[in-house]
Amino acid sequence: MAMLRESQIMKIHYITGIAALFVVAVHILMRLIIPFSLSLEYENVIANYHNIPYVLLLESILVLIAIHGFNGLRIILLELRQSKAWEDGVTILTIVAMMAVVAYGTLTIILANGSRF
Amino acid sequence: MEVADRNNREGMKAWLNPGRYGWERASYWLQRLTGVGLLAYFVGHIYETSSLTQGPDAWAAMLELTQTPMGHLILLLVIGMSAYHSANGIRLIFTHGGKGLGKPGRPDYPYDAVSLNYRQKSGIWIALILAATAMLYGASVLFGGE
Repeated sequence: MAMLRESQIMKIHYITGIAALFVVAVHILMRLIIPFSLSLEYENVIANYHNIPYVLLLESILVLIAIHGFNGLRIILLELRQSKAWEDGVTILTIVAMMAVVAYGTLTIILANGSRF
Repeated sequence: MEVADRNNREGMKAWLNPGRYGWERASYWLQRLTGVGLLAYFVGHIYETSSLTQGPDAWAAMLELTQTPMGHLILLLVIGMSAYHSANGIRLIFTHGGKGLGKPGRPDYPYDAVSLNYRQKSGIWIALILAATAMLYGASVLFGGE
């Protein structure tokens, strides 16, 4: 099951965490450049999804946080219990959940964009 | 002869026990609790925004559910959790890289760990203060009536 060493996985964990910090900061700033309630209006939100650089930012947030978050969950679960079956099960479960969340989020981005890539 | 139970695993009890290692222990489980909380919010946020694809009415219905005082309080908690998790996470990256741990010393009584020093404690306090500041700013935006 060990395709990567734990030290390599931790490096990925740290890099995705720091990268997520920057892209999420831009995502939040986009909510604050106009009054918060106005930024949530349907037309404004859809306009964001029609802006290709912003779409790429959203996709990067999705991938970075999914990797960082589900690997974090894997680490917590492996700290609680150790056995070969548990470790393999947790790893598979978190990878599947991560891929499902990325797929669902990407589908939203593509549909909201209206295939304007 | 009776076989002694050699299972010393404490499980969740050890994980949640803040009494053993002081602030560092509290920081340890806060990092994990905020991480799980943020992951739950992340999944919920993706589900929330997926209503966009069903048109303006579905989006308005979702906003009615989330843009409430309770929704804003949850968002405020998320702001605090993300500020703490980020700042404490940066401290941990440095710590795992061996920075700020101090030099190894002779283990004299009362055997205080050199690694659990003022640098680490300051990092934890900075993370907590940043979280509180971010929550105050978040409250001014969310409840400020803009």
